[in-house]
Amino acid sequence: MDADLLSDTFVELADTMVADFDVIDFLHLLADRSVALLSASAAGVMLADPRGELRVAASSNEAAGLLELFQIQNDQGPCLDCFRTGQPVTVTDLAGPGQQWPRFAAAATQSGFRTVEALPMRLRDQVIGALNLFRTDPGPHDPAELRLGQALADVATIGLLHERNVRRSDTVAEQLQGALNSRVVIEQAKGKLAERLGMDMDQAFTLLRDYARNSNQRLTDVARNFVTSATADFPPPGRTAAQASPAPRRP
Amino acid sequence: MTASRSEVMWGQVAAHAAAHGARVSVADVCAVAVGSAQLTGAWVAAARNGEPDFAMYVTDPAGEELTELQLTLGEGPCHDVLASAAPVLAADLGDTESSRRWPAFTQEAREHGAGAVFAFPLIVGAIRAGVMGLYRRSAGPLGDSQLGDLLILADIATLLLLDSLGDRGPAAADGDGDGSWLDGQAPDLALHRAEIDQATGMLTGQLGVPIADAFVRLRAYAYCEGRRLADVAGDIVARRLRLHPDPDPDPVPDGGP
Repeated sequence: MDADLLSDTFVELADTMVADFDVIDFLHLLADRSVALLSASAAGVMLADPRGELRVAASSNEAAGLLELFQIQNDQGPCLDCFRTGQPVTVTDLAGPGQQWPRFAAAATQSGFRTVEALPMRLRDQVIGALNLFRTDPGPHDPAELRLGQALADVATIGLLHERNVRRSDTVAEQLQGALNSRVVIEQAKGKLAERLGMDMDQAFTLLRDYARNSNQRLTDVARNFVTSATADFPPPGRTAAQASPAPRRP
Repeated sequence: MTASRSEVMWGQVAAHAAAHGARVSVADVCAVAVGSAQLTGAWVAAARNGEPDFAMYVTDPAGEELTELQLTLGEGPCHDVLASAAPVLAADLGDTESSRRWPAFTQEAREHGAGAVFAFPLIVGAIRAGVMGLYRRSAGPLGDSQLGDLLILADIATLLLLDSLGDRGPAAADGDGDGSWLDGQAPDLALHRAEIDQATGMLTGQLGVPIADAFVRLRAYAYCEGRRLADVAGDIVARRLRLHPDPDPDPVPDGGP
């Protein structure tokens, strides 16, 4: 495990939390860094919606096959079990015989993944979601990486709830729905931008996120303004040249 | 095959409408919400310019007063929901949190007999259709499953509002939250998938319309084609399918004004 990467990640996550906090930007950063830190190929943060669904709050990449793997888990798969039991769930060989979740395993191996982990996002006695990790190599994981993975899942929980007083369970529900709706706004913005500029969703997300950071705005606010704007010009008109041009936010 | 939870809730809403011999509307959503979560009353207000505007439907006079109160005082749970784009669940209007957040509203609401008020934004991302407010005489939080049911009902109310406002479908726009153009069929309620939201955004460009219209058009297309919304959205995102703007619906005759 790369110690420099670990400390850089810690600094970045802390920095994101103290600045103008955007929960989806934060969760995306966490999912993205989890991949390198935990020797994974792909990662996603899943949140439990009271409607009875597991929803993707952030994903390390936008490949349609990966998103589908998260979404299949509404019916079967490690995230569902992890959410119900509050315990980590691991499959060390998705291509082996006797799969507990055949449909999920087939889809995962088709995307090239051999191993999956779901680490619970817990708040006291409640499980609010899971950090879902995929790897292309079969076999058991390094226990140190598993511990770090659980710590990252716990950090995701903290980030999700940190804006509010979370003693009341109602507040948790409100925060989750707010985060899930922010995700929808960002997806709508990605679509509008991807169509306008003829790019894919990953590129569109990067453009939105970089513009938000360089202009010191929250990602969700940038996304909402863009979606509701009468034009599809990007960067949006009305910002000064200094705000629109890339400027480093941190040394 | 077991019906999904959304299908079950829609079934209750449709049954309520059928029992009254009317088309499905937000009135039915309110009635089912009150029964399902064991509350006292509910109302839906359509959003204009980011604020809840007129109340479209209320189940009882106290509910009507609570919604009027929030409009008059400019504060309250329904006021906050559109700003935060998240539900506001005031389970106990007698606690210090509520008095701190809405000093004037809390006092008057309690005098009107409300112990708890729950407000749900009727939104899909950046699309804002309105607010659903509910109250209970007694204080106390919503149970998990009650919350889930109310979120699904809020989704249904959102679709009904969006489909009825403005000149968007084959049916005339009468603005009463009446989903008449669905011809009584269940809407596709599998809404919460990234590709649906992405396709909605893409359609603002393909159709040259605002986001709310893009969403209605996407759903209308899927419905008319008899396809799942998620599948149509997937095709649009993968660029296998493009939608095109309607030809001018009111062509001006040559020589006319």
